Amino acid sequence: MQQFDVKSIIQTSPVAHAQPRDSAKWEVINGMDTAVEFASTAIEDARKKVLGVADVSCLSRYGVKGPNATQWLLERGIAIPTTPNSWTICEQKTLVLRLGSSEFLIEDQLGGSACTRLASDATRVASVYKVPRADAAFIVSGSEALNLFSELCSLDLREKSLATKDLIMTQVAGISATVIRQTLNGEPVYRVWCDGTYGPYMWEVLIEIATELGGGAVGLAQYQNS
Amino acid sequence: MIFRTPKQAGEWVNRTKKINFTFEGEAFSAFEGDTISSALWAAGQKVLGRSFKYHRARGVLSLANHDVNVLVTDGIDTNIRADVVEVKEGMVLTAVNTSGGVKKDKNSYIDSISPLLPVGFYYKAFHTPRRLFPFWESVIRKAAGLGIVNFDYPRILKRKTHSHCDVLVIGAGPTGLTAACAAAEAGLEVTIVDENRQLGGSLGYNRAGDSSVVSQLDILLAKAANMPNIKVMAGAYAAGYYPDHLIPVVSDSGINKVRAKAVIVASGAFEQPPVFRYNDLPGVMLGSAVQRLIYRYAVKPFNNGIVVTANDYGYRVALDLLQAGTKIAALVDMRQTGSAAYSAVLAKRGVKVYIGHCVYEAIASSDKSGVRGAVICAYDEKQNIALTDNKFTLECDGVAMSAGWAPAGALLYQAGTGMQFDYDVEQFVPSRLPNGMFAAGKVNGVFELEQRVRDGVRAANDAIRHLGLQAPQNEAEKHVGISPSHPYPMVPHPKGKNFVDFDEDIQIKDFVNAAKEGFDNIELMKRFTTVGMGPSQGKHSNMNAIRILAKIRDLPVEKIGTTTSRPFFHPTPIGHLGGRGFHSHRLTSLHDWHQANGAVFTDIGAWKRAAYYPAAGQSKEDAIQTEALAVRKTAGIIDGSSFGKIEIHGPDAALFLERFFTGVYTDQKVGSCRYVMLLDESGVVVDDGIASRLADDLFYLSIGTSNAAAVYREMQRSQQMWQLNLGLVNVTGAFGAINIAGPAAREILSTLTDLDLSYESFPMSSVRESQVAAVETRMIRVAFVADNGYELHAPMGQIPYLWNALIAAGKKHALRPFGSDTQRLLRLEMGHAMPGVDTDGLTNPFEIGAEWAIKMSKPYFIGQRSLTILAKRPLRKQLVPFVLAENYTGEMPMDCNLVVDGRDILGRVTSISYSKYLDRCIGFAYVTPSKKEAGSVFQIRVDSGALVAATVIRTPFIKTLKGA
Amino acid sequence: MKLLTCPMNGTRPLSEFVFGGEYRQAPDQDTCTDAEWAAYVHNRSGAPGDKKEWWYHSPSGTWFIAERNTLTDKVTRTYLLGQNNTTQEEGK
Repeated sequence: MQQFDVKSIIQTSPVAHAQPRDSAKWEVINGMDTAVEFASTAIEDARKKVLGVADVSCLSRYGVKGPNATQWLLERGIAIPTTPNSWTICEQKTLVLRLGSSEFLIEDQLGGSACTRLASDATRVASVYKVPRADAAFIVSGSEALNLFSELCSLDLREKSLATKDLIMTQVAGISATVIRQTLNGEPVYRVWCDGTYGPYMWEVLIEIATELGGGAVGLAQYQNS
Repeated sequence: MIFRTPKQAGEWVNRTKKINFTFEGEAFSAFEGDTISSALWAAGQKVLGRSFKYHRARGVLSLANHDVNVLVTDGIDTNIRADVVEVKEGMVLTAVNTSGGVKKDKNSYIDSISPLLPVGFYYKAFHTPRRLFPFWESVIRKAAGLGIVNFDYPRILKRKTHSHCDVLVIGAGPTGLTAACAAAEAGLEVTIVDENRQLGGSLGYNRAGDSSVVSQLDILLAKAANMPNIKVMAGAYAAGYYPDHLIPVVSDSGINKVRAKAVIVASGAFEQPPVFRYNDLPGVMLGSAVQRLIYRYAVKPFNNGIVVTANDYGYRVALDLLQAGTKIAALVDMRQTGSAAYSAVLAKRGVKVYIGHCVYEAIASSDKSGVRGAVICAYDEKQNIALTDNKFTLECDGVAMSAGWAPAGALLYQAGTGMQFDYDVEQFVPSRLPNGMFAAGKVNGVFELEQRVRDGVRAANDAIRHLGLQAPQNEAEKHVGISPSHPYPMVPHPKGKNFVDFDEDIQIKDFVNAAKEGFDNIELMKRFTTVGMGPSQGKHSNMNAIRILAKIRDLPVEKIGTTTSRPFFHPTPIGHLGGRGFHSHRLTSLHDWHQANGAVFTDIGAWKRAAYYPAAGQSKEDAIQTEALAVRKTAGIIDGSSFGKIEIHGPDAALFLERFFTGVYTDQKVGSCRYVMLLDESGVVVDDGIASRLADDLFYLSIGTSNAAAVYREMQRSQQMWQLNLGLVNVTGAFGAINIAGPAAREILSTLTDLDLSYESFPMSSVRESQVAAVETRMIRVAFVADNGYELHAPMGQIPYLWNALIAAGKKHALRPFGSDTQRLLRLEMGHAMPGVDTDGLTNPFEIGAEWAIKMSKPYFIGQRSLTILAKRPLRKQLVPFVLAENYTGEMPMDCNLVVDGRDILGRVTSISYSKYLDRCIGFAYVTPSKKEAGSVFQIRVDSGALVAATVIRTPFIKTLKGA
Repeated sequence: MKLLTCPMNGTRPLSEFVFGGEYRQAPDQDTCTDAEWAAYVHNRSGAPGDKKEWWYHSPSGTWFIAERNTLTDKVTRTYLLGQNNTTQEEGK
């Protein structure tokens, strides 16, 4: 039998199909080949301020649901958002999204380890069900972000309507997505998650509009030190 | 001759910036801010367009976006509304719908034969003989029409965006502006929209010669501008009303769908023309058009005019004309009462006022390009008779006309507002407003400026209270005094040409004729006469049409009612409506590989799937047969990542499956797979798939691509009803799947896994979890496309690695990728009927011979009770596998060709294909149950009508025909 | 576009929802007659009035019941099945 090593498996961002293979700079992050740079830092900085779209699908995620999921996570040191459809941050900036009342999506930021820890826990507990995740995930930043969402989403995503810790499951560009508003490095940004198989489509739509509005693609490198 | 007035307070033109353009080949200049019409009118150009039907010369009518006889073409853009579109440097304009130019339109002869073209003419004249209709249609279409559509028009996508506010105010006249400020002062978030590029509405131009009202407008505008919570959308129109206060607002840049919590409609009223002979000549225009010309564009409408009025408004217009330097030959008031106060003012200015008179007809100038006078005579308002005995003629070069108003109530109607006719204002006014809708100002029957301002505040307060805040409840404003609209400003004339609808050249007699023909209901009359069906949608004609019909039928106006108002309120370009197309699609993680290897893609549900991989120059049919042969002879591999994949966790998982599907799962062994079939409550087959038991409390379900989302949705609903102890996890996107099948599949797989793949330890219909090429994989042994098949399910992101490992390992076995089209052929060769392909919305399991998959003795499953009923009845049809004769070379039957017996229809073909491997045409068809036994022969009627014999055989086809 | 209030996710445009048909109590399939069952499966009352309906909020996968008057198209309340003691008003 041929020899294979799980460590040699390099995944590709679910969004990659829609991204430029040649002109972007690619790097393997968390085992996933990811576009870290689309243009010079100066250009990307400018885009970020107006309307930047970054692919952060490579962040580690862990999903769990079930009547006992809250308890199970608490026992493993994960902070739980107190109300359904809200989110919170725990150690190492790990995001904890509460999808409805009894489903959770945990997302480590770069350098975080909560998901790896949770994934290695093989104990099976009653009424706790693991939800395998393969999300396409995005950061949308800049002054024109709301202008972009006004075309993609019929909900009011302004600060006065989308409270700081609110999480909404809605349709973005016609497909189901989860959206929160977050502050990263002092800047307000929107985070968007959708099924990875819709990732290329979502990227194309976001970039098309972002470009029209004076922004564009931003590499993950822009967020690697945050 | 240049018709510019001295500078007007608040004028919209910028005199320091000159604009050059051409119209009909002639050079013109304008000021920045001029509309095309105002610039041409200022330059003395009177014939601006030709009418739709009779090609009559037309000029300015409303200057309010209803001048649909003045549509122009500018390059690739056509049907531009010259009365409101700003003229731009370098425009090269021509009028639409002319033959040889607007001045000498060759089609103007149609006007002289108009008696031969009565209402409804087209409906009647050209349908016998029928064969000539296409000829006449082409002639009529050329003669009557709008701009010519340029087929090279580029695809311009406009944005469709959403916005949100507490209160949307429609109309930024004094009423709307006041309402917006009042709502904003209460802390509400207000959006105000107006179709004009500058706010102010009639406050900007209804001055009666006194420009001090401008300062009132300035104060109001400054107040609104200083409110950060007022968002202004100017040059944009509220195009329709959709439930729960969704209003699409259309502007040049696209459509903004405004979701409001409350809506204040302050859209004002459209001025309505009095109807008299030749009221359409260039130079005859509405009073408010006169005012717009003067105060917005500083254009003198004419030098020596006549004002004809049936309300007090005409007197105000006369004062505006005087202010602009126009001489007034006479003011003709159709009312017996006249207006003592205004008459005195005008008399003081030396204007002759004729009370109880009418313009009997306007007189065209010799070249019919304008008006040179008007015939005036006494008018009996009560009897609606022109008393022509003492008629006389006055010279003039223009006629201003005022008769009344029609509410701009389209959005109110669309929202379901109850309207009633108010005789105090001779207009329909809202009587029962929907929740959260408010009306104020002229649309609400309130006309005096002070009252309108108060009505704006009142409406704002109503909206504020509606939104749960405190505000006083003001009393509703009520119009007092003389009605702003005349009940019947129509002057009969034996020779007609007294136009009611300028869009479609409809005269009074057309209504009379339509009623005589029996079309005496307003909706029928609209269709027969086409009143209100032109581009202005009856904004200046519907009210008069209703009045005329009321007179014909001798009924009060409110008994006639109005036609139905529908979105959009105003013509909206297709590019706006289309917007950016969002065509969402799902890609598997192997999409790049498929592309690189020449796959042809097909849409299945939301997915793009590789259908087949043609070699250079290879036909689709060849590619499919080649791929299928590889699976039969060596091995093939397909990306099945789009399959629906659902995990059912928990102690009640098996019980759930037993209730949801037709089979038995409680005794299913861990590591084994079972067929699942889903029925609906009526016992119709919905879908099927495979349930693999991974643990006592964990099943892994794989189902077809196209129905997966719906099946998962139904599982969620069932779980909510049944409340079993389990969790459903949809892993369709998180897991990918690969199916490797064919004689060499096992050997290829064995090089990538330690798992014992012997048929004894990994038999058919079983599932194993093991590493394949170091990827944690769920392996399912299925015989969907071939006897030796393995479905490998693994995390979507690791699928490409697994796939490449399989491809590499399969190289020496001639492993070949195959697509979803090939899969269809392969499953047919295996004799698998597919729900949705070989079944339809009425098929029950007995008809497809699926009794084996049903466990009737279970306590419950969806559709069970219906099956007990169906089981008692004789079968009406039966799905059978069939073959055509060996070496059949005739016309190939198609899916859905009928199975016939003489003139009786027995059934239909559901799947048919040639199989190169079997060298036979094989398929499935429904037949009468008497023909279901192997060896029975039935006839298929192909498209040409020929009959093709087919023979029922047993499946799998590959076993029966090839002994494989 | 109409708004509908999902008991879990709040007020959303109708495009986020899938209609799931009228909510009806099935007769006891073990005791009912064939005719009763057939009537349940195949007959619907088209008469306008207050109806209980199934609705599904797609982005979150939430099934719920909406009480809607099919004449006025007004939704009086929405709730998760079995939790119909809370009143939810339709978004204004």
